[in-house]
Amino acid sequence: VSALAFLGLPTWENFKPFIVTGLALGGVYAVSGVGMVVLYQTTGVLNLAFGAVGALGAFIAWEMINNTGLPTWVAILTCIGFGGVVTLTYGVIFGPPLAARDPLTKAVATLGLALILLGAMSWIWSDKARSLDLSTSNSGFEVNGLLVNWTQVIAMGFAVGLTIVTVIYLRYTRTGTAMRALADDREITATLGVPVRRVEASAWFVSGCVSGGAGLLLGNLVGLDAATLTFLVISSLAAALIARLNSVVVTLIAGLAVGLVNAMLAPILSVSEYRDMSPFIMATIALLWLSRKDIRVTGVR
Amino acid sequence: MHVNPLSGRKRPATALCAICAAVLLSLSACGSSKKDTSSDSGGSAKSSDTSSGGGSSSSSTTASKCGLGNNKPASGTPVKLGAIVTKQPGTDFTDITGGAKAYFDCVNANGGINGRPVSYLVETEQTDPGQIASLAKKLAETEKVVAIVGNISLIECSVDHKYWEAKGYMEIDAGIAPECWSTPNSAPVNMGPRYSSDGAVQTLIRKGVKKIAFIQSNVPGTGYIKAGPEIVAKAAGVPITTLTANVPVQDANSVAIKAVQAAGPGGGVVLNFTPPEALKILQGAQRQGLQNQVKWGCSTPCNTDFLAKALGSAWNGKLFVNAELAVTDDPGPDSTLYRNIISKYAPKIPLGSFSQMGFIQARIVTDALMKVKGPITVKTANDAIAAVKNFKTDILCKPFYYGQAPLHIPNNTDLTTTPKDGKMVKDEDCFAISDAEPDIAKVRDIEKQQGAS
Repeated sequence: VSALAFLGLPTWENFKPFIVTGLALGGVYAVSGVGMVVLYQTTGVLNLAFGAVGALGAFIAWEMINNTGLPTWVAILTCIGFGGVVTLTYGVIFGPPLAARDPLTKAVATLGLALILLGAMSWIWSDKARSLDLSTSNSGFEVNGLLVNWTQVIAMGFAVGLTIVTVIYLRYTRTGTAMRALADDREITATLGVPVRRVEASAWFVSGCVSGGAGLLLGNLVGLDAATLTFLVISSLAAALIARLNSVVVTLIAGLAVGLVNAMLAPILSVSEYRDMSPFIMATIALLWLSRKDIRVTGVR
Repeated sequence: MHVNPLSGRKRPATALCAICAAVLLSLSACGSSKKDTSSDSGGSAKSSDTSSGGGSSSSSTTASKCGLGNNKPASGTPVKLGAIVTKQPGTDFTDITGGAKAYFDCVNANGGINGRPVSYLVETEQTDPGQIASLAKKLAETEKVVAIVGNISLIECSVDHKYWEAKGYMEIDAGIAPECWSTPNSAPVNMGPRYSSDGAVQTLIRKGVKKIAFIQSNVPGTGYIKAGPEIVAKAAGVPITTLTANVPVQDANSVAIKAVQAAGPGGGVVLNFTPPEALKILQGAQRQGLQNQVKWGCSTPCNTDFLAKALGSAWNGKLFVNAELAVTDDPGPDSTLYRNIISKYAPKIPLGSFSQMGFIQARIVTDALMKVKGPITVKTANDAIAAVKNFKTDILCKPFYYGQAPLHIPNNTDLTTTPKDGKMVKDEDCFAISDAEPDIAKVRDIEKQQGAS
């Protein structure tokens, strides 16, 4: 504590509350990152509309909860299902014609979907204060003096659970094996008789459902705001990038680390307002470290 | 586990992600520029009767009238009025021009300005000085509007105030940039983020806080705004820490914790954000059980029922919002008319400070223009606006005035509201913003000299 004070930093007591908020937010970054990595490996598409799909799902859930009188669980399922259907529809329509294009073209194409969804949200709901209330945020427990609500627990649990399920699914199921094969070589996999379109469609759908779930959690944890939820995909992207877009376990760890570092910088007033850069700084450092052998071999030109 | 540990496929992941992130970031600067026009008659006449407005805090439940209040649609050559408003992701002030338009629609349905309908041209901008300057020229030189009413922009006053002075326009606006309150041709109906934040700080000091943490969005102009609360707190002998948070706020829980820690035990946190961003932080505080650890204050954007409804009853009497205008359910005649016309002509716009500001600006300008004898030109219209004095309305604490002065802060007395079961209700009656603020002290002297208040 005295060392922190000597360096002009907040005390450990000041830092403690940020651990919970950071891990919860990091959990959702990890969830989003895992969804993006699985889709990227299976289809070669980096889905930049991931956040926008989740955001629109969250807005639909808000509308259902507040203006239709339907039970919350129906709204939650609708949000998740909406994410799956919209993403699947995009994948089925635009996946095949873009399959042979380079990854950058495929990624930029998803920006079109993000823009359409962002515009739709602004048009339908305008830029007013809204609150996506989940009952899980109204109760919780204390750990060492820190208040933890159930939505935060769900966010972290969802991240860990999704990663474990994804790892098991990819290793032990036929579709998972097909996805891994697609990740290795799409052409050879197709010649071996694997139903490529069907496998890709399942990846689009599952990834979309994950985006719906992430949108719902972020809508509650961060706030129901179209632009914020759409652009939060950037932090998830950093987590996926640290994992070099090919490891769900590293994506989980990176997502939690991104959320934690970002939150822990908040009480350090001298750097607090620059903390939004932290995901990219972490991604840059990680990529330079992971590429150190390549740099040694090729040298710096 | 690696999904693709042996992949031979080359994917330029770093470049791909960096480019896509840059594109995504650039989207935040995008926005649409559109023009609303209003020159129609706006349907049938007002439901309210014709008792005149005025008199603060009247207990009357009878509404004021729109224009002539004769229930006859206006015809003839439109009187063109113009406005420039910020509308971009994260910052949308069009409720203000929406409130003004609703009043003009009502005026048009009730005889207009001495028989002539109002054509209200609203231009939206995205904080681009070049765009804003060209929109001002367009309104004045191409559209030939006779007056500027309803402007609300992050930087419009800074960009255009010399142009309006050169062209002889006396703006009635809702200000944000410092030049809105410090130049001779702008008289805002609001007191803006700086003086409103002062008011919120004064309220928390009266409620006995030991220290203030003032936190606002990290946008241009924060240095000017935070200077106000610092002066007020210093004058009261209360320590203050000023903080900023990037918007849109992406980690509201951390922002809330940071502010509470800065305020310390027995302290108070004052927020200066748009309603959606303030809501995120307040809800972040609620999720962490922080709403009782300090006293919470907020500048005027929080004074909206929309926010009170989103907050719910958990914040009843725990948030103190500086209100530059009356509560929306005030029983006074202008407040009654305001509610009626928003309900009838702009039902999608929520009741709140923003639409109230538009409404009252439109009402002041309409009242001034109806006094013009002969042709309504830029000169006659703006002479009439400059001559506005002792304009009484229950929406403002003090009568509004314009007059000839090097600076205008006609709204320098306001009240405090607090959420109660989804509505903002009055917590504290009108009080004067501290004249520890140098410009407030100057304006009080001008008011005495001109007998303006």
